[in-house]
Amino acid sequence: MNKQAIKDWLNRFMPLAALILVYLVFAIIAPPSFVSLKNLELIVRQTAIVGLASLGMTLVIISGGIDLSVGSIVALVTVCIAWLLTAGCSPLVAAGGGVLAGLICGFINGALITRLKLVPFIITLGTLLIYRGLAKGLAHEQKIDAPLSWINELLAALKSEQLWMLVPGGVWLLALLAVLVALLLKYTRFGLYTFSIGSNEQASRLCGVPIDKVKLLIYSVSGLFAGFAGLMQFSRLTVGDPTVAAGLELDVIAAVVIGGGSLAGGEGSVLGTILGALIMTVIRSGCTQMGLSNWVQEIVTGIIIVVAVVLDRIRHKQEKK
Amino acid sequence: MTLALIPMGSTDEFWKSVHAGGVQAAQKLNVNIIWQGPIRRDDRTAQIDVIENMIVRGVKGIVLAPIDNMALRAPVEDAYRNKIPVVIIDSNLESDKSISFVATDNYKGGIMAGEHMIKLLAGKGRVAMLRNVEGSASTDNRERGFLDTLKKAPGIKVVSSNLYAGATTETAYKASENLLAPLKSASSEVALDGIFCPNESSAFGMLRALQDGGLTGKIRFIGFDASQKLIEGVQKGHIDALVVQDPVRMGYLGVEKLVEYLQGKTVEKKIDVPATLVTKANLELPSIKELVAPDLKRWLQE
Repeated sequence: MNKQAIKDWLNRFMPLAALILVYLVFAIIAPPSFVSLKNLELIVRQTAIVGLASLGMTLVIISGGIDLSVGSIVALVTVCIAWLLTAGCSPLVAAGGGVLAGLICGFINGALITRLKLVPFIITLGTLLIYRGLAKGLAHEQKIDAPLSWINELLAALKSEQLWMLVPGGVWLLALLAVLVALLLKYTRFGLYTFSIGSNEQASRLCGVPIDKVKLLIYSVSGLFAGFAGLMQFSRLTVGDPTVAAGLELDVIAAVVIGGGSLAGGEGSVLGTILGALIMTVIRSGCTQMGLSNWVQEIVTGIIIVVAVVLDRIRHKQEKK
Repeated sequence: MTLALIPMGSTDEFWKSVHAGGVQAAQKLNVNIIWQGPIRRDDRTAQIDVIENMIVRGVKGIVLAPIDNMALRAPVEDAYRNKIPVVIIDSNLESDKSISFVATDNYKGGIMAGEHMIKLLAGKGRVAMLRNVEGSASTDNRERGFLDTLKKAPGIKVVSSNLYAGATTETAYKASENLLAPLKSASSEVALDGIFCPNESSAFGMLRALQDGGLTGKIRFIGFDASQKLIEGVQKGHIDALVVQDPVRMGYLGVEKLVEYLQGKTVEKKIDVPATLVTKANLELPSIKELVAPDLKRWLQE
């Protein structure tokens, strides 16, 4: 194996080892229900929202940027879907409209970042508040009750006659999109450009990479995936809630970082990100089923984030030697 | 036997009292309870996650205070499919899949305030009501109960009932000033005899406005819910009465009814946790003291 192959292998192995370790720990200390198949289904189901949003965030972080507005976009999307449903649109139109709203939000992020030449942190910190405000305004600072439809089945527990699906539709969507993004990163010019901008933006510019175009696309895709996450959030809530997903962006960023993404850019993988998101759900599920208080889960997740980054750093140093 | 008690939030005094009541019932009936809720009182998703985890964990039953009357339907119906009975406490859920609803009848609480106001004013005078916030079902019912009761006293005239206090003490303070300002005359007399505020924050805002305007004691003042500051107001005579809910009892009854159901007894669909009128006269009674300042430490081992 050459050096690059070892690096790739390590990148993949670390988050997977962490996931298995965390799972085994809870398998021993949590009640026996934790290792049931039903709990596995629950864990993947509860990972879908963070997982979808973190696919887009993986691209953003590989390119050396950050998107703080995803939580607010999710809230805005749930409000849009509920609003469209109550206005009499079909569920398909409402779902499409909601995801489109997410895409537009992402496009605006990208346009502002490339036109105003400001760092993504500032722009998306601003749009975090703007999109949240829009959601609250559109909903008149209340939740919007919407009629039930097939959208609400996307992430619901499977009924006994649906067991052939193994997991609900929303989880399949996450799996499909994850494979797509992974292929996109590996085999397309867009993927190559994304890594190159994150590694060295100046050098990429000199090599003729159309930086602004690529960034615009990256943030639009991030918005699009936040749109899908919003659709799943609505599926779970059954109402449009402008206060939902506050702080979701931090879970999403944590998933990418635990999965080996570097906030300095140039590094990250789809598989790692999904594993990172799963690790956090496993911790939450395990702690909740053990009846531990919320603060315990928060501390455990925090420790894992720090440990993941420290291990990452150590690995880098060894590579340089 | 292990049961789950799922509150709206875990930090408020109100929910700690519910917890204490649940622990009391659990100890008496010899069951285990898991206390798990979202940190923020408006985090619907976190509450859904908790219920799903409790279903997978295989608890024998769930006592739930739903954050949202619609969004929590799906997980409750999921519990029902898994043959886990759910008792709803405090706030209603738009579902027929729960076995019982244990809560304070807010409309009755409003009536209690209205009847006491009529008594205080001897059936004659000008009364104002500061509303809580738009679209809050529990306080809407208190306001309706209060106004409906006043209609029975022909000598009482409602001079203001369309101002909203807003969600915080600060907005409530401003709204209170706005309510009082047009009623003040040049000689600092106020053309008002009684005031009702339907929750803790609106009552506290009004208390501050009355204190700053030097109006305490001149206007009969009834509030809803208790806090340390409001109880002090009653002690000083700045507040004439508070309608106080009993969260400890609510937690207790929630767990007790669930256990009774699991033992095969029939449980009423709706159970009222009566509110109590707290005045200066009964403030020192042991039962009232336990109500407004329950001994949480004893039950929660904090």
